[in-house]
Amino acid sequence: MLTINLFNGLVYGALLIVMCSGLALIYGLRRVVNFAHGSLYMLGAYLGYSIALQSNFWVALVAAPAVMALFGVLLDRYGFRLLQDRDPLTVVLVTFGLLLVIEDFVQTVWGKSNLTVDAPAALARSVDFFGTPLPAYRIGVIVVGALVALGLTAWLRGSKAGLFVRAASTDPTTTAMQGVNTDALSAGVVGLGTALAGLAGVVAAPFLSLSPAMSSDVIIDSFVVVVVGGLGSLAGAFIAAMVLGMVQALGAVYLPALSAVLPFVIMVAVLIWKPAGFAGSRT
Amino acid sequence: MNDYVLQAEDVAIHYGGVMALDGVSLTLARGQIRGLIGPNGAGKSTVIDAITGRRRLTRGSVHLGGQDVTTLGVVERRARGLSRSFQRTSIFGQMRVRRQVELAAHSMNPQGCVADAEAVLQELELLPRADDVAEDLGYGEQRRLDLALALVGRPTVLLLDEPMAGLSVKESLDLARHLKALTQRWNVSVLLVEHDMDVVFGISDAVTVFELGRVIASGEPAAVRADPRVREAYLGSAA
Amino acid sequence: MTIFRIGLGAACALAVGGAVAALVGSGTVLSLLTQAVVYAVFASGVGLLLKQNGMVSFGHALYFGVSGYAMGIALELGWMPAELAVVATLAAVAVSAFVVGLVIVRVPGVAFSMMTLAIGQMFYLTASRSRGLTGGADGMNVNWPATLFGVPQSLLHQPAVLFLVCWCAMVLVVLGLGLLLRGRFGSVTEAVRDNEERARFIGVRTLLPRAAIYALSATIAALAGMLSVLNTGFISPEALHWSVSGVALMMVVVGGYKALWGPPLGAIVYFLFKDVLGDWASHWMAIFGVALITVIVFSPTGLAGALQRLRRGRPAASAPATRPASAH
Repeated sequence: MLTINLFNGLVYGALLIVMCSGLALIYGLRRVVNFAHGSLYMLGAYLGYSIALQSNFWVALVAAPAVMALFGVLLDRYGFRLLQDRDPLTVVLVTFGLLLVIEDFVQTVWGKSNLTVDAPAALARSVDFFGTPLPAYRIGVIVVGALVALGLTAWLRGSKAGLFVRAASTDPTTTAMQGVNTDALSAGVVGLGTALAGLAGVVAAPFLSLSPAMSSDVIIDSFVVVVVGGLGSLAGAFIAAMVLGMVQALGAVYLPALSAVLPFVIMVAVLIWKPAGFAGSRT
Repeated sequence: MNDYVLQAEDVAIHYGGVMALDGVSLTLARGQIRGLIGPNGAGKSTVIDAITGRRRLTRGSVHLGGQDVTTLGVVERRARGLSRSFQRTSIFGQMRVRRQVELAAHSMNPQGCVADAEAVLQELELLPRADDVAEDLGYGEQRRLDLALALVGRPTVLLLDEPMAGLSVKESLDLARHLKALTQRWNVSVLLVEHDMDVVFGISDAVTVFELGRVIASGEPAAVRADPRVREAYLGSAA
Repeated sequence: MTIFRIGLGAACALAVGGAVAALVGSGTVLSLLTQAVVYAVFASGVGLLLKQNGMVSFGHALYFGVSGYAMGIALELGWMPAELAVVATLAAVAVSAFVVGLVIVRVPGVAFSMMTLAIGQMFYLTASRSRGLTGGADGMNVNWPATLFGVPQSLLHQPAVLFLVCWCAMVLVVLGLGLLLRGRFGSVTEAVRDNEERARFIGVRTLLPRAAIYALSATIAALAGMLSVLNTGFISPEALHWSVSGVALMMVVVGGYKALWGPPLGAIVYFLFKDVLGDWASHWMAIFGVALITVIVFSPTGLAGALQRLRRGRPAASAPATRPASAH
């Protein structure tokens, strides 16, 4: 029993990693807390659903994030870039407006009832793990989470673009003065961030059903992760995501009343103690 | 018991391996204008931070009118008549000029804050703009507003942090002369941090020279000007 | 604004309310207007926090919903007469919000907003899951007694009377705030909002005033919650959801946060949109979202700001003087 719960904790943690790395990247580069991130996740999930209906899950897994990436580039170019001299709270309110538009769009196109997506046939079975059967699809989710974490870390530490992103997160003015095209960089990073949200949505669809409420469900947890991990810090977000995943999964079973409240309490405590979160604001 | 309105003794501020101030002592007598000069990074602004209570001291003490205020915060020191202006203009952008000056006056003199505000606005030629929102003022007017917030209510000790920053030569000299007349009339003692040598040597009764967090010379303007250590450290051919 | 002009404005507003109550015959229309007015009060509370403290709260639905629940529980258990319960609830909200405020107003910028979101949702989830007295996700009835402050139920619940009660409450709130903020308390909080450091240097203590504004804004939200359950006789966890706070914020921004009558204007515009758009009514959320974005980009001081500029012929508006985030 414990194995299953720990496993589910890993699964949800992995999902949060994919989701929150996007949020952290966008904050790191544009200093915007994207209140619409949950609805981007939802949009990705619904797009994945439709694409999967036309072809299959694997195509959706690639195509939906790609569409979301394009959306992200446009969002940065015509949204964040134009508002970059405004107060951060002003931009937050704009993302809130965006959230409303996306939610309405999703409800209009796909309706209000719950939709289900089936896991791809190749993964619709169980794998035996020391006597406990674990759903193969969920193992796949953990794999995706791990790949995203490792991939992003490698990219940021190893590549030139990653170096520019880390530099621009720390000091945008100086980085621009060094000749780095920070506008193109921002568009790319925001596109990546929205793509990751979309990917999280597609990946989540088979085991959490699709509904208009799914964005609300996940956005709070995402904020908790990003705040506790340190606004803008990826490593912090990864760790916080796994911890939160575990807390939610184990708590739901063993301490239901407390587990609902615990993430918020932690977040509030962290914000009061250190408004920049644990790991600070470096990517 | 001494008569100094302000006395800083052996003030030191160390943090993270940096020694911003290393045993600084200075005094300010009633009605005196003391200039603080020194190269950039010498610790002049830090000394103001130390005296106002914005930064905690590693060592040393600050006395206002004979009373030890070392452990008191910014608000308490203000209540005892200590006031400062800012090098980078620090005003209340969305408030009207008169309203913010009256608020500043209130902490010094609750009963007469309206009259005090009117007086200082008149002295600093801000009356025509009194009903405007601060962010609509021009740069020079905003600098004067910053000064007004510090000057209103006749503080006992006034710390001015580069009040001439960004002003033209003529504006600087005009303001300097005006400040000297005003502070003498109102019996305000002044500690003046400034880069403009003409201003400092023009209006100060005494000058203290800083370098690398220490005082290297202190005394009457003429004596300081002639001091070879000071010339070497700072003045060069500008003296 | 002089006291005379403020008083005149309030008197006119009351007169308008009276006229509407007397002339509008349709119970449905009055009911809709009452809802709008309840939200106008709620938006005023949220707007006060933004205007005077420069802080955006996504969690004021907490106070809106909690006051409804407090009344429901108090009336159910019959601990005290309804009138006392009303006063006690508002007082309790004021005090507890002040204590909460002392802690949370220290958190700057967006971090504060995220925190209010978290706190509000925490209560929403707790209310949704707790069975027993509060009825869990189904909500509970709020059973008002036969008379309230001497007024019989039969009279109080006539649409015109209920509308008038809520309208008067709204006018009194705006009037009260207008008078309060003219004076020193207004100056102090504006100074702390604009430049906290300099405020200390001119002798202003910065924590208590901000906490007081937070508590006041929470109490106004609680008053709105009270009016809401008076209107509907029912409270459910939905009233605590962060989207309710979000809607109030939209009203504040679209109506205009700088003028005290801006948030109420926003509330009325919101309900007009919602009801009048006919065929497009199912998309009113998206339309309001677009309106929100448009207002923020082109007229940050909202409709009230635009109207004021038209009257004075002044160009360009300024964005909210919010406190900067520390994580940079």
